[in-house]
Amino acid sequence: MTWILGLGSLVAFAFLIAHLLLALVLIIPTWRICTRAGFSGALSLFHLVPLIGSFIVMAMLAFSTWPNGEASPGRRS
Amino acid sequence: MMGAEIAALMGFFGLTGAFALVGTVLAAWMAWRIVEKAGLPGWTGLGAILLTLTGIGSIVPLVLLWVFAFMRWPRDEAPAGAATPGFAPAGRPAGGPNPSGPAALAAPAMALADRRGWQLTGALASGGVVALAIDGTSGTYVLTGAPSAQASDLSVPDPSVGQPHARLLTAGTRLGLEDLGSPGGTFIDGARLLPEHGPRDISGARAIRLGSVDLALSRT
Repeated sequence: MTWILGLGSLVAFAFLIAHLLLALVLIIPTWRICTRAGFSGALSLFHLVPLIGSFIVMAMLAFSTWPNGEASPGRRS
Repeated sequence: MMGAEIAALMGFFGLTGAFALVGTVLAAWMAWRIVEKAGLPGWTGLGAILLTLTGIGSIVPLVLLWVFAFMRWPRDEAPAGAATPGFAPAGRPAGGPNPSGPAALAAPAMALADRRGWQLTGALASGGVVALAIDGTSGTYVLTGAPSAQASDLSVPDPSVGQPHARLLTAGTRLGLEDLGSPGGTFIDGARLLPEHGPRDISGARAIRLGSVDLALSRT
């Protein structure tokens, strides 16, 4: 019976590692995007939140005014 | 009994499918807005998200995310007409590091015969009107929220305008603008000008914003 618990822990640990790796792949470019937009790069750490983290980051970037400026409507190609 | 379980399972998958659809549409909409703010066409962001629905899976959108993060954004490029040699601030190398703005530019090769001046006009929040003339006789003007103390001071009496706020530079037929680190911010045609950008050629610009004051740029 103990081996089932051990297997479960192993699977959970594997999921955790996979989630962290995937989040890292998203955090690095998002950190740069946030910085270029004028926000703190730490905003990209929301990717660590399962399921809705990416939506939070995207919503922040999409619906707030970028402190470093945005392309004016006339220049959007 | 089994039928009820199957129905419940199908309902569950229907619900998750609906959530996935709503999430994809929401992500596509936000991606559209984000890439537009960077100066790219909105459909590129939309397309990147919708690619996840294809057989390509999520690898290509992930690659596109990295490309978007490290590519040069049109937002950071000089406004139209500014891609010519222009204003290089003293002590700052023309090809030096420039985090998000265009490179500072060298002196103009030649001056044209156009001797017209420039004019900045706009309305103040207090109800007043500001009209500033730049005739080019002085090489440098200071835009400030304080009353003019010198001939080269251009006063924009508004609380959102710094004291001083920005610097205007004339060189030949061109006009440059440099932000002096004012909290209210300086904008050229809606794009933020930061102090580290140095002087930017605004000869082709139409609208300047100092703090909350919108000024229209025109030739006299």
